[in-house]
Amino acid sequence: MKRYRPSDEVDFVVVGAGAAGGVMARELSQAGFSVVVLEQGPWLSEKDFKHDEIWINELNGLTNDHELQPNTLRQNESDKAQKRGWASYCRLVGGGSVHFTANFWRFPELEFEQATRFGIPDGSSVADWPIRYADLEPYYTKVEWEVGVSGLAGNPFEPPRSKPYPMPPLPIKSEGVLLERGARKLGLHPWPAPMAIASQPYRGRSGCLACGFCIGFGCEARAKSSTLVTMIPEAVASGRCEIRPLSYVRKVEMGQNGRVSGVTYFDKDRKEVLQRAKAVVLSANGAETPKLLLMSASSAHPQGLANSSGQVGRNIMFNGAGISAAIFEHEINGWKGAVVSRVTWDQYELPKPLGIYGGGGFDFRSAITPIGGGFQSPPGSPRWGRDWKRGLKDNFSKSLSCFGHTTQLPVASNQVDLDPTEKDAWGLPVPRLTFKEHENDGRIQRWFMERGRELLDAAGAVDSFEAFAGPSVGGPHLLGTCRMGRDPKTSVVNSDHRAHDVPNLFIVDGSSFVTSGRGQPTMTIQALAFRAADRITKLAKAGTL
Amino acid sequence: MSDSEFTRRDFLVAVAGASVTTWLSASWSDLNAAGTFAASASQQEGWQVLKPDQVRELDAVTAQLVPTDSTPGAREAHVVRFMDRSLATYAKAQRPAFDAALKKLDELVASHYPGATSFAALGDAEQITVLKDWEATDGQTFGTIHGATIVGMFSNPEYGGNYNKVGWKLLGFNDQFSWAPPFGYYDRA
Repeated sequence: MKRYRPSDEVDFVVVGAGAAGGVMARELSQAGFSVVVLEQGPWLSEKDFKHDEIWINELNGLTNDHELQPNTLRQNESDKAQKRGWASYCRLVGGGSVHFTANFWRFPELEFEQATRFGIPDGSSVADWPIRYADLEPYYTKVEWEVGVSGLAGNPFEPPRSKPYPMPPLPIKSEGVLLERGARKLGLHPWPAPMAIASQPYRGRSGCLACGFCIGFGCEARAKSSTLVTMIPEAVASGRCEIRPLSYVRKVEMGQNGRVSGVTYFDKDRKEVLQRAKAVVLSANGAETPKLLLMSASSAHPQGLANSSGQVGRNIMFNGAGISAAIFEHEINGWKGAVVSRVTWDQYELPKPLGIYGGGGFDFRSAITPIGGGFQSPPGSPRWGRDWKRGLKDNFSKSLSCFGHTTQLPVASNQVDLDPTEKDAWGLPVPRLTFKEHENDGRIQRWFMERGRELLDAAGAVDSFEAFAGPSVGGPHLLGTCRMGRDPKTSVVNSDHRAHDVPNLFIVDGSSFVTSGRGQPTMTIQALAFRAADRITKLAKAGTL
Repeated sequence: MSDSEFTRRDFLVAVAGASVTTWLSASWSDLNAAGTFAASASQQEGWQVLKPDQVRELDAVTAQLVPTDSTPGAREAHVVRFMDRSLATYAKAQRPAFDAALKKLDELVASHYPGATSFAALGDAEQITVLKDWEATDGQTFGTIHGATIVGMFSNPEYGGNYNKVGWKLLGFNDQFSWAPPFGYYDRA
């Protein structure tokens, strides 16, 4: 791997080696630029990954540790925030793409122009994106082929595509068969799920072994299309990209003429290092990116870097969920295979008379791990003892849930900023979340939970129950906190992902989102990244960076 | 707002309700006591953190939470052994929570059955009464022990519990980690 000295002024420093940062690293280095990627976490490989719930959930094998990097949370600006982990992100090279479920839905046309089409709900900050689906379509296709997505073209609810998927869908599971059964009865149109998992050997990677441990786990077969096994090795192979793990950036440095000059980070020994760069790309995620901008306040940027609009950290979204669950007569064995094999997108836009803004999609899944399963029992039934044990024994492999993935509305006062008192283990201020769901969120999640139960019943469930309808606060989907837009007064970056306030600063990750989609953000994060890299390359080559 | 709203949302794939937090949110704590520690956990190995009376008490509690019937329970899974090892290593920070839970159990036993020497010394029905009251009145300390019991029952065996994979066998879970269709009944062609 090419190595640079911190004193070398590289073309780009990319902060974060995740879903977006990996794409930026690969695209910019292959375009001929020198690139240093700084990643908070370690650089692991598939050999380090294990099917071990304690390692994953208790020892933070892949994710941020809230003991070392706490978060705080409050509902209103007048409250004092309490310590509470709300930002869960994969903290290693590959980022969230290492542990994601791998649902890779494109956002359809309407997602990008909801304000125009449907208006702006009171109390929300819904806006049109400054780009349209047609602008992004070539890059969605690029994700499917370069990163590797399995699926089947032709879903009647999918927007137009320029190319089929590069790999056939993953095999259907019992959950998928049951969704087909229920959906058809209710007049919906189930379709093979697009998944960022290789269904067959692809570009030197193995096809999926159906081990059953996708959500939250790293793939031991290199079949899950994380940037760790796709973009990152290709970036390194360019000979122009250095991945520097265990590098925790604390400040973007200002140089001359309103331009940034590099970043300062803590290395693995917690020593401060300044990496110089001609341009800086932030791909640190929707919580860490605004945190870094706010920590980078200076005399020229007293409200935080690139924050003349006051929008940095605002409009945070996590995606909504309406979940019902059921027990069926026969084995489903959801602990085998990828999580999702069939989806329905009929309700991506809900009928107007319902009076609910937005929409969503369904999948059936039973991703039950052994410990996770041990904590689950039907509402009102015992959680321990003889009867609980019998129920668990009988139903562990016969249970599934109907997951409705829904809109969550952006609200300006839902905001990440710096906690005034709490510090992390490096002495940096921690991200504080102020959050209260928009009332539409509660209604849409309930609607999807109730319709989900109907789907389960239609599929022949022996027993079904409502499980979750929000509030959805926190998690790994961290969106909207540096929104893109045309107006520098109301957005942080333009459609090239360039900060309105700083010509050589780019922000490319979930924070760029204007609206939430209906879950499944990573596909769009990566399509945006491919597009941003194209735009930035053109700007740089034209000498206008 | 409940813990579950703040944990990884994708893990809310519940079969059963939104209370699907990992036991992270159930803080561990302690238990007290005495009991009839069955000759289940390997006796050759010493106890690193738990005292003998704690071991006996935890044995009795976990054996009620995951009883042994026609299939193995917490005893056969060596759940108390798992607790001891965890508290000695990665879960050191949970020791005070364990202490608090064991103290709470002591108090409950004393208030329900004045004169009783320990939870483990109670009869079956009495033990269940105490546990139900504990669960209903102090979810925090109860959750500490309940959470650790579930984790010890179903975690990877190298942590000391799920001995001989009895927990996984109970679930019908097989750790082969490589499968081909059909996966279940409904996707058989």
